[in-house]
Amino acid sequence: MLSITIISVLLAVGGIAASIYFIIRDRQAKEILIKREQDVSRRMYELAILKELGDRIGYSLDVQQIIDIIINSLHQFIDYSAVSYMLLGPEKLIFKMHLERSVHQRFVNDIRDRMLGSLSALLDREFNKKDVKEIISGAIIIEELDEPVRSFFNIPLVIDEKVVGVLTVADTKVGLYKEEEMTILYKIIQQASKAVTSLQGVVKTEQAKVNAMVESMADGVVMTDIDYRIMVINPSARAIIGLPKKEDITIFDFIDNLEGKFDIRGRLEESVKLNKPFKSEEVLIKDKFYKIFVFPVNTNATVEIGGQEAVGGVVIFHDVTAERSIEQIREQFMSMIVHELRTPLSGINKISELLREGQEKIEKKDFDDYIKLINADSNSMLELVNDILDIAKLEAGKFEVKKEPKDLRNIIDNRIEFFKTSALDAKLSLDVVYSTTLPKAVLIDEAGIKQVMNNLISNAIKFTKRDGKVLVLVSEHKKGAKINEEFKGLPSQPIVSLPEETFANAQGSIVIAVSDTGSGINQSDIKELFSKFKQLNNKSETGIKGTGLGLAIAKGIVEGHGGTIGVVSEIGVGSVFFFMLPLG
Amino acid sequence: MKKILIIDDDQVFQKTMTAKLELLTYETASAVDGEEGLSKVVSERPDLILLDIKMPKLDGIGFLKKLRENTNAPKIPILITSNLSSIDRISEGVALGVRGYIIKSDETLDTIVKQIEDILKK
Repeated sequence: MLSITIISVLLAVGGIAASIYFIIRDRQAKEILIKREQDVSRRMYELAILKELGDRIGYSLDVQQIIDIIINSLHQFIDYSAVSYMLLGPEKLIFKMHLERSVHQRFVNDIRDRMLGSLSALLDREFNKKDVKEIISGAIIIEELDEPVRSFFNIPLVIDEKVVGVLTVADTKVGLYKEEEMTILYKIIQQASKAVTSLQGVVKTEQAKVNAMVESMADGVVMTDIDYRIMVINPSARAIIGLPKKEDITIFDFIDNLEGKFDIRGRLEESVKLNKPFKSEEVLIKDKFYKIFVFPVNTNATVEIGGQEAVGGVVIFHDVTAERSIEQIREQFMSMIVHELRTPLSGINKISELLREGQEKIEKKDFDDYIKLINADSNSMLELVNDILDIAKLEAGKFEVKKEPKDLRNIIDNRIEFFKTSALDAKLSLDVVYSTTLPKAVLIDEAGIKQVMNNLISNAIKFTKRDGKVLVLVSEHKKGAKINEEFKGLPSQPIVSLPEETFANAQGSIVIAVSDTGSGINQSDIKELFSKFKQLNNKSETGIKGTGLGLAIAKGIVEGHGGTIGVVSEIGVGSVFFFMLPLG
Repeated sequence: MKKILIIDDDQVFQKTMTAKLELLTYETASAVDGEEGLSKVVSERPDLILLDIKMPKLDGIGFLKKLRENTNAPKIPILITSNLSSIDRISEGVALGVRGYIIKSDETLDTIVKQIEDILKK
């Protein structure tokens, strides 16, 4: 029976073998040849099975599906009344029997019991008949055919070194299965299980990689099946809904904790139904802003002939809080610039309106005031426009520093002279001290350094109460020397000591410090002082407002000289702004 | 005679608006920040307030909040006069029941007076 089958397979698949068979008529040779052909055809069958496995299931690792494929083509190769398998399902034992020929119900029951027995023995576990889910296919059960099981063999199904079930071939005829048949089937199963095991290994590694990636992702990731059961959730997603420790998170945890701000269920349903990704606007969840993405998840198109099948959806929470705050700072900056430009413009506009209306109605004193105000307004506008232009140049990297040998002392004396009046008006002292070792000429951009000094001195005056002190200190810094020691050589000292670490690795340079007895600056505000978009919320003593651009510009100029700028401050004591210009 | 209280740290606006209103025989009072504004509301009893937003000490929004908290404060129509164009500021102001919001640089003294008259007529 078997040999007929083999020969028919041989004839069908092995054209070469057939021709050889007819050419060589020697009986002995023929027997050897048949044996060889048997091997060849068996190998071909094994290969065909493996190829089919690969083609039909791809990466799907459903063991049942694989066994189905094997038994569907097994009858070409082995003769039997019934082929059956029994697999460990998640809840029940799946018992499936495919009948090639009609049999009696007792035949079916007998096979089932035998399989239950061998599975129990293999797994060392008791199974109950109630645990079995039975599926019979193929030929029908006929009660008149009361033939018992006369031939029978079992092969354990082993995947990844674990027994997952048994496969059985049975017939009503006697003595049908010999070692050869068993070996064939055993080899096929072994090959299939080897293939599946290694496939599973690949998938496991890939899955571990994906899991590690998802776990470590800053974005919250949640995957659900089509019934909204959560299959995957990463720590970020747990943190977003404020449940970092809870086990078994469900979609309802999301619904409750999203507080109606995002309809996660509705969006998943829509996305899966329409097979379309969805992207949300910014959503505020517990003090943070997120953009939420929803993607449908489909099976691979090659699995089912009918095309893709939806299996669930993925929701990704992307935190945009930081981007948003940068955007907000930019908006605030723009709004500040607009305000500061409008105010003087509007002032000039209103004065001219009054003046045009009738000079005869305006008293001489008021008229003079108006002219002064126009002057002040146009000056402040000019200042702002210049600041904006400087910032734009810095931004574009086009801020040019033209260094020439200049007498620094001259420049600073000139600035002190310039600010004497405003210091006097504010009832402050304004002084300068120089070290005796200053070089006669230093390579600097005169206009730039004037601008830096203007900024630092005017700030010091603005932020210091009456009877306070503003002091400018200028010293040379030698490489490796302690700056505060060097400053001790000066007749006066800064109100707060300079940070040694800033100067520790500095080369030989000139250090200029502007010390004031103002209210001091909070440590947390210091790092934002030199940023162009942050204006300190600290109002000056005199109520003078500013754009806060000056320090950002000063930083740009000092850095253009290859130097650094910084500040030390103590609340209630004062602040010292300093910068160094490298020599040579 | 109607009295207008101008709460604004913008010196030029204070001076020109006051001059314009006085030419039209309005009475005026002034405050340079929200805190002074609050005390002037009580001492001057104005018929209308022109209120700036960006001011030292207590800004316009802070002034409005404090004023609404005080249930004894007289109900005085308020017209916001600012050079800010931030939309949240406007909506916040409106929520506190101001009568209007004008951007100073978009108006002349005349058009501001026109709006003051419209509010006082109602």
